[in-house]
Amino acid sequence: MIIIIQIIVIVLALVIAVATLENRSTHSGKAWKKIALVLLAVGMVVAVLFPDTTNDAAHLVGVGRGADLLLYVTVIAFIFYALNNYLHQQDQRDVLFRLARRIALVDANERYNIRKK
Amino acid sequence: MNTNVVIIIPVYNEAKVISGVVSSALKSFKYVVCVNDGSSDDSSVEIVKTDAYLVEHPINMGQGAALQTGIEFARQLPVDYFVTFDADGQHRIKDVQSMLKEIKTGKYDIMLGSRFLGETIGMKNSKRIILKLAIQFSNIISGLKLTDTHNGLRVFNRTVAEGMQITLPDMAHASEILEIIAEKKYRYKEIPVTIEYTDYSRAKGQSIINAVNIGFDALLRKITK
Repeated sequence: MIIIIQIIVIVLALVIAVATLENRSTHSGKAWKKIALVLLAVGMVVAVLFPDTTNDAAHLVGVGRGADLLLYVTVIAFIFYALNNYLHQQDQRDVLFRLARRIALVDANERYNIRKK
Repeated sequence: MNTNVVIIIPVYNEAKVISGVVSSALKSFKYVVCVNDGSSDDSSVEIVKTDAYLVEHPINMGQGAALQTGIEFARQLPVDYFVTFDADGQHRIKDVQSMLKEIKTGKYDIMLGSRFLGETIGMKNSKRIILKLAIQFSNIISGLKLTDTHNGLRVFNRTVAEGMQITLPDMAHASEILEIIAEKKYRYKEIPVTIEYTDYSRAKGQSIINAVNIGFDALLRKITK
């Protein structure tokens, strides 16, 4: 039984990683992130209202306790978030740097009287 | 005096040595472009004292970003060959001359300096090992076969200068340049160069742990591309 959760977690982690990295700036990519967020929220509410459901779900995939399953899901969600954030930051940095480079070049061209071709 | 060549020097907090490096370059080359990458010391004051062009980044963006800015500025100059050169005095003008001689035959688009083909003075063993590992890693990622992948000394023609688009701002740009060479199929050759590690350049050099950052970003780029 333990095999199931291992496969699920590993495959899920890989799929999420690749899918988000590839679609991070498309509309559907953004939409899927929102759907995932809503599902997570709904799941949380269900887990709180019916504590046994997490246990049942855990047993279904071969995890001992519901709490463990929750932890796995949380870790995946966190990695997903961290990676996404890192890439987003890099995109922002690229924009900032391109702008700064433009300023540097315009400034230098003015100083040395270079007309842009 | 060489009027057909531009020397591009990214500068970050090199006030102590930059004027010496620039003046010695200006003895052999008419065009020297310094990109001051938001230094907090008097680097730009020192550069203004010389006859080099100064391009000033409004903020610190990293060596890769400074190189790209320098290349973009240098494209406007009436030159055929572009040289990237470190500001800390570890490269030799003599090596640039021999690389230029080779590239002027027209057989290659870009010449890369290699400290492992040449002579390296005063490199620590730990740095040597990490560099060798980085070279293996970089060769696998880029698909090129090189003996030194993180050498700041490069000479290239206008085709390469026009095509160069470095997006990685920090030290990872060295690997990115190699990926660009592989992708655009530029003809490249390594030339042995001498690197002099002085106490000053050792203190300023990148720490070994930064190899982790470079590796991580390179892999991530490979996945997200």
